[in-house]
Amino acid sequence: MAQASQQPPAAFQESHLELEGLRLRYMEASPPHPDGTVVMVDANIWGLSKLHHALAQKYRVVALELPAPAQIASRSVKDLAGIMNQAVTRLASEKYTLIGTSLGANVALWQTLQSPDQVEALVLISPTAILPSGGPAPTSPEEVAKRLFAHQEDLQEFSRDSGTVAGERGLVQRIMGTAHDGEAESKLGEIQCAALVVFGLQDKMVAPEAGGIFRENISNSNLSFVYDTGHIIVAERPEALIDAVSDFVERRETFVVGRQSSIINP
Amino acid sequence: MKASYLGAMGYSQRNTFPATWPIPPIYHDPETSVRSYQEGIEECEFAEEMGFEWISFSEHHYSGRIATGVPSVMAAAVAERCKKAKIAMLGHLLPLNNPVRTAEELGLLDNLTNGRLIMGFLRGTPNEDQVYSVNPAEGRGRMLEGMDLILKALTEPQPFSWEGRYYNFRTVSVWPRPVQQPLPPVIVATRNDDTVQYAAEHRLGLGVSFLPVEQMAGITDKYRNWCSESGWDPQPDQVLYRGSIYLAETDKQADDWFTNVKSARPAPAIPLRHTVAQAIQAARSGEEFDLRNVIAGSAQGDVAGAATGLSFIGGPDTVVSQMKAFQDQCGAGVVDLFFQQPSLDHRGVMKEIELFGREVLPRIKEF
Repeated sequence: MAQASQQPPAAFQESHLELEGLRLRYMEASPPHPDGTVVMVDANIWGLSKLHHALAQKYRVVALELPAPAQIASRSVKDLAGIMNQAVTRLASEKYTLIGTSLGANVALWQTLQSPDQVEALVLISPTAILPSGGPAPTSPEEVAKRLFAHQEDLQEFSRDSGTVAGERGLVQRIMGTAHDGEAESKLGEIQCAALVVFGLQDKMVAPEAGGIFRENISNSNLSFVYDTGHIIVAERPEALIDAVSDFVERRETFVVGRQSSIINP
Repeated sequence: MKASYLGAMGYSQRNTFPATWPIPPIYHDPETSVRSYQEGIEECEFAEEMGFEWISFSEHHYSGRIATGVPSVMAAAVAERCKKAKIAMLGHLLPLNNPVRTAEELGLLDNLTNGRLIMGFLRGTPNEDQVYSVNPAEGRGRMLEGMDLILKALTEPQPFSWEGRYYNFRTVSVWPRPVQQPLPPVIVATRNDDTVQYAAEHRLGLGVSFLPVEQMAGITDKYRNWCSESGWDPQPDQVLYRGSIYLAETDKQADDWFTNVKSARPAPAIPLRHTVAQAIQAARSGEEFDLRNVIAGSAQGDVAGAATGLSFIGGPDTVVSQMKAFQDQCGAGVVDLFFQQPSLDHRGVMKEIELFGREVLPRIKEF
C-alpha cells in the first residue's frame, strides 16, 4: 500500500456547512468507483496529508476540519462529536470508516460512541483522550515542535509557515489543557466495530500506557506503534502510516494476516 | 569492580585454524567439538566458583574461536550449571536478528535463570555483516530500530503491531515477560556516538570492547555527559569493559608468553579478505566501493587485521593496576574477560582462572 503515497494527489473539492453557530470546512474527493466512504476528522493544521490523498485513490474521502481552537474553546469534545455527526449525516448516507487524528481522534472516539451503527471501522491516530501529558503547555515554536515531532530537524519537506506554527501551538495548548477523559475510557467497551489505534513510538503528548488501555478495553481493536515518529506521524513517516491505515481500512482486523510474498527467485 | 567471564566456548584445536574468516567447516571434528563445549562449560563453572559474578556470552558466527553463533542456547545450558552468577547476553547482534525472536529468547532466559539475565545489544564486527546477507549500510539503522522494538516488546502489556523502517510485525505479544521488572539490566555495546547517546537517553548501560583505556575514556566521558543531560547517573554495573587477558604468576612470565605468541604466528584479529573488509567498511560509511579500483593483493593480502595487544597482560599486580585504570579513567564497574587465547589449552585457561580468582579478584572487588 505504500505505493499509494506515490500516486498523484487526488482532486479534493472544498466546501462548508453551518452547524450550531460553527462554520465547518470540509474537503471531499472520490475515485469514479469508490470502495466505500472514509470520513476523516482532524485539525487540518498542515493541510491535506499524504494519507488523505492515498485513501482517496480508492475510497470516497470526506475530510472534516475541526474549527480553530479559539472557536471551539468553550465546546467539549462530546459537543464537537455531536456537531461532527450532524455533518456526517448530511454528507454520507452510507456507513463509513471513521479516522480521527490527535484532537480529531478524541472527537472521532465520541462520534463512534454516539453513533455506533454508522461507523464500520474506527481508526484513532495519536488520540489524547486517555492519559494526555499534563503540565504547562509550551509557547515557543521550538518547544511546541519538540512536543509534536520526534525529529523536527528532518521536516524540510513538511510545510510549516507562520499560520501552521500558530495552529500547532493552539493544538498543543488545547490537548495539554484537557484532562484525562475518564468517561470515554469507561465507555471503550461499548465500541464493537473493528478499531485501530496508532501511536508514534516517541509521542510526547500522551503517556506510553495509553495504547494498552485502548487495546485492553475495545474488544476488536489493534494497537500499532510507528517507529521513530512523534505525535504527528504523517509528517515524519507518512509511508508507514499509510501502509498501516490503508491496509486496516481495506482488511480491518484481518490486516494482521501477512500477505507479502517472501519468494526471492521462483 | 566486578569480573565477568566470557564463555567463548572456543574449539580446543583453534590454534590449528588458518588466519581467515570464516573457518571452513572441514576443520570441525565432532569429538573434539563436544569435548570443547564441555571444557568451556567447566571453565564457566570454575569461574563462578572463583568469584566471577557474571558469565557472559556473545554472538559470533562461522568461527571456532568464539563458538557461540546462537548464544542464548549456550547461556541456557550454562545457566543450569552456574546457579549464582548473572547470565549476561553481551550479546545479540541486532542487525542480524529478528528483534521479536531476540525478545522472546531474552524473556525466556530471564525466566529460566529466575531473574539473573543481563541483556546486551551490539552491532558486531564487520565480518558478521556477511552472515545472513545483511547490507552493511543498513546495520546501524537495524540496530537502533531493533533496540526500540525489543524494549517495547518486553514492556508493552498488550499485543501490538510495529510499523518500522526495517521491521513490520502486525502481532507482537512476547511471552514470557522478563522476571525482572520493568526490564533486566541492559548494556549497549558500542563505540559510536549515536548509539552511546541512545544508551544514555534510554537510561541503559554502556559496554566498550577491546579499546585502550584512553580511547574508552573518551567514549565514557560523552556517555556520562549525555546521561547527565537526561537527568541520571549510571551505576558502576552499567559501565562495562570487555577485554582480552593473559595472567601469569609474574610479569616476566606473561611477557615471555606474549613474545612466543607473536613470533609463532600473527594474531587473527578479524581476518577477512582485504577487499571484502574494505567493501564492508565502505558500505557502513555510506561510500561507494568499486572492486575494479583495487589492485589485486598478494596472498598475504587475503588477511586483514594486524596483531593487537591484549587489554590485560602481566602478573597479578600489573593486571590489578591495569583494571584500576579502567575504573579510574572510565568508571568501568565490570570487566568482561576473554581468557581463551589461541595458544592456551583448557588446562591453561583453568590455571589462569584459579590465579585470577586467588590473586586479582579479591583486590579489584575492593575498588
